[in-house]
Amino acid sequence: MFCGDGIIYLISFLGALSLYLFRNGINNPKTHLSSFLFFLILTIINPLVSHNGVTVLFVINNSPITLEALIYGFFASILIISVLYWFRTFSQIMTSDKLLYIFDRFSPKLALIISMSLRYIPLFGRQIKKINQCVKALGSYNEENVIDKAKLYLKTFSAMVTWTIENGIITAESMDARGYGVGKRSRYSNYFFSFPDVIFILLTFVLFMFSVFLIRNKSFEFYPSFSVSFSDESIIGYVLYGIIAFVPLFIEVKEELKWKYLKLKI
Amino acid sequence: MIVIKNSSLRNVLRIIIPFIIMPLVVLIGAIFLNEKRHLFISLGLVFLSLIFFVSGVEKKNLGTRRLVMVSVMTALCVVGRFIPFFQPITAITVITAIYLGGESGFLVGASSAFLSNFYFGQGPWTPFQMLAWGLVGLIAGHLSNPLLKRKWLLILYGILAGVLYSFIMDVWSTLWYNGSFNFDLYKVSLMTAIPHTAIYSISNFIFLYICADPIGKKLSRIKTKYGI
Amino acid sequence: MEILKTENLTFTYAGKKQPTIKNVSVNVNLGEFITICGATGSGKSTFLKLLKKEILPLGEKSGDVFFEGESLNTISDLKSASHIGYVMQRPEQQIVTDKVWHELAFGLENLNVPKNVISRKIAEMASYFGIEDWFDKSVDTLSGGQKQMLNLASVMVMNPKLLILDEPTSQLDPIASSDFLSTLKKINRDLGVTVIIAEHNLEELLTFSDKLMVFNEGEVLFFDSPENVIQKLSESSPFINYLPTPARIYKLSEVNGKCPLTVREGREFIKQNLKNNDVDLFVKDINTSKTKDVFLEFKNVYFRYSIELPDVLRDLNLKIFRNEIFCILGGNGSGKSTLFSVASNLEKPYSGHVKVKGKKLKEYTNQSLYKNCIAFLPQDVQSVFLSDSVSEEISEESISRFNLESLKDMNPYDLSGGEQQQVAIAKVLESNPQILLLDEPTKGIDKASILKVIEIIKDLKKSGKTVVIVTHDLEFASNVADRCALLFRGTIQSVENSKDFFCENNFYTTVENKMTRDYLSGIVTFDDLKNVFEIK
Repeated sequence: MFCGDGIIYLISFLGALSLYLFRNGINNPKTHLSSFLFFLILTIINPLVSHNGVTVLFVINNSPITLEALIYGFFASILIISVLYWFRTFSQIMTSDKLLYIFDRFSPKLALIISMSLRYIPLFGRQIKKINQCVKALGSYNEENVIDKAKLYLKTFSAMVTWTIENGIITAESMDARGYGVGKRSRYSNYFFSFPDVIFILLTFVLFMFSVFLIRNKSFEFYPSFSVSFSDESIIGYVLYGIIAFVPLFIEVKEELKWKYLKLKI
Repeated sequence: MIVIKNSSLRNVLRIIIPFIIMPLVVLIGAIFLNEKRHLFISLGLVFLSLIFFVSGVEKKNLGTRRLVMVSVMTALCVVGRFIPFFQPITAITVITAIYLGGESGFLVGASSAFLSNFYFGQGPWTPFQMLAWGLVGLIAGHLSNPLLKRKWLLILYGILAGVLYSFIMDVWSTLWYNGSFNFDLYKVSLMTAIPHTAIYSISNFIFLYICADPIGKKLSRIKTKYGI
Repeated sequence: MEILKTENLTFTYAGKKQPTIKNVSVNVNLGEFITICGATGSGKSTFLKLLKKEILPLGEKSGDVFFEGESLNTISDLKSASHIGYVMQRPEQQIVTDKVWHELAFGLENLNVPKNVISRKIAEMASYFGIEDWFDKSVDTLSGGQKQMLNLASVMVMNPKLLILDEPTSQLDPIASSDFLSTLKKINRDLGVTVIIAEHNLEELLTFSDKLMVFNEGEVLFFDSPENVIQKLSESSPFINYLPTPARIYKLSEVNGKCPLTVREGREFIKQNLKNNDVDLFVKDINTSKTKDVFLEFKNVYFRYSIELPDVLRDLNLKIFRNEIFCILGGNGSGKSTLFSVASNLEKPYSGHVKVKGKKLKEYTNQSLYKNCIAFLPQDVQSVFLSDSVSEEISEESISRFNLESLKDMNPYDLSGGEQQQVAIAKVLESNPQILLLDEPTKGIDKASILKVIEIIKDLKKSGKTVVIVTHDLEFASNVADRCALLFRGTIQSVENSKDFFCENNFYTTVENKMTRDYLSGIVTFDDLKNVFEIK
């Protein structure tokens, strides 16, 4: 676990879940149900493999299942689930355009490769379907037979490789013709890092460092027995961390309200 | 990350990162953080090594055609992941690496990991996967001579790469769950991954056995025809 | 003032003995619009590539190319990249990035143009080309015509002085290709950009070209204004076939006077030179087959790709008889290709049914539909190539049947469009089908290859096959079909004998018919026209 502090995990989890729910509503119960099941499994795994702790709940196969290990598993799972929810929202907000904008500074070559591949993926998806249909219609493979079916897939894939490689050369020529590799490249993007963005990131970082400093003393002790003790400092730390965790939600709510208001004026 | 824009700085980083910063991170981690912080150190190391390898590739002039071939292969990896029981990333990465060089292999591996996660879920594991698959390609590129000569060696490499990949990713899942490295947990995650690893290795085996030569032939043809 | 000059340009591909380009010396003046024509393999593509140093093919070059007085050997990379624009044949493969805006910016990024300048230039270009509406879209969502327009725009954004285009409309449907050419004309007239374009279809191009360059076996045969070139061509020259219909009939009828290029001029020409006023070629029911076996039948077929998408085929009813050549015409998105997928059981209709030889498709189990029964050739013929050489693709028997011996050891991808088409047809015929479905068999191939395809199809009919063709190409359909049908919004609108079909349509008909309809009836193909003028 990152810091072993259960309160931090809970705050993070609430922040992530509320942001996700605010953006998406509860119209996809399947996602939430699967997260919950995942959470249960993760919680149970820890006491099954870790037998630390003094409060024995029951014994399976001569190994004790302890309350402490269960609590530890619970908090560890909270952390993992909250990361999952953060990343769900992250994937929605950070579209490929935005990620490429960031990637571009990190490695222009990798960014270009990724941008090109993103363009190829749907193209290849369609082409592979076409080739598959052609191979089928040639009548040389019987679909009811597993080995024939595997052969059909391999033939399709091999033909697909040829098609992509041969046609890729045209792309390369088109790039060369437009001066790729002539010299230094500039970069254009639909997105811009503005001054307020930088300030915002710096502020978040400073806040984060502060909260890390304030909760440096452990409030949670899992083993050998579970105990919690809060200091005044750590409580301020939680508040600061809470601000970081809920800022995205505040921004979403603010934009939503602003938009509602602006809509009234249309 | 913005600093990497500057190419001379990039070169400096290439030297500094492996020889100074990486050991420093480990050292600081060992001294100032207790053992519960393995995850932080590992994340830091993964990021640094990604920067290190990428800046290496960035420096090398691959040529437009090779660059396009890399993105073509990457897209093929991603599209191939949608075919049932078909996990071509390792195999395609290895084939690309031995025919077009280690850098190309690294790029195919790393960007396939990144891109396919758009469809299969982005997460903190993304940099680990990028590094793992990238390295599979990079190493294959350096071993290209023996791998090209002996097919059984190539297939063995493919299988090993699959197993190794699974081992590394399980270290990550253990770290992620536990913060520090717990051997029991590691064993459990390895065990639960056995069917997956097995299917993976078998598919690598089949794929490399059947496709290595034809795909290689196609790549060599393009190489001679267009002078890559 | 000349912008481009070649001096004794000769080029031999690596590994070849014969030069592909022989001693070409031409001058191109600033602001000219130049059209290049020639058969496949005449070297026109190679010639165009030699004008752009970034894509110089591997091989041995002698002689020199001068751009604005500077040799291409010494010209700076930056100048060559930005001042000479190049657009290729395949719209899909030229696009580099995944978003329209990024594609427009790509060239400028390469030239290291600052961000704010890029921003302004691409805004300007997007407005000029009318692509604002799809500025933010993924390139994947664009149609073929839009993609090619994007390729042109992303070259134009670099502000080239010379624009080179290698068969840019060959993969487009007639409407998109007409749009593309008029944009090209606008660029030439508005911005003074010099244009050099190679094309198979000169119908529209010649009306606004300043000069026509005719390539034959690596040499420039003629390079002059279109009128002069047409005058100079001998009557027996194979290039007559490349000319627009009005010019062709002018040339063959050996009449003096101004050469007609457009349909309007062609009408004038017909009016003045008509020799035989009372020809009536309008004969009803000329091609009725005696046996009216229904071979392929669609009955109330409805199809859509997924629930949320609209119907592609709606209440489609169609009967195709044994041993006929049936052409289905229709615009883009009318469902032509889908009709074939449904006919060959690759997609299944949600209502209605398809019968092949009187049996419903689902009664064909275990691939029996694809054996000795039905075969399907897709638009992109490259999709049927599964091996690395022609001899692996098709059997010895097919090779000799179609006279493909010379291509035997070649990789299918190294063949020209027309050759690929022939190999692909040979390949789908291997399963000995009785019904052959051809999707756009004339797309992107030159006139000589089209004639070859027509010949193959007619031979197939003679050997008892039924051929169903989907096409945009009205000339081709009028020459090959027994019956034609118009597909519109997923339904068949009219099914008639080929001649009736074209005579009764006002817009959807051949140039020959448009030219003569006011004075004569029943003229559909060029051969009909030749009959009127009594040309052998």
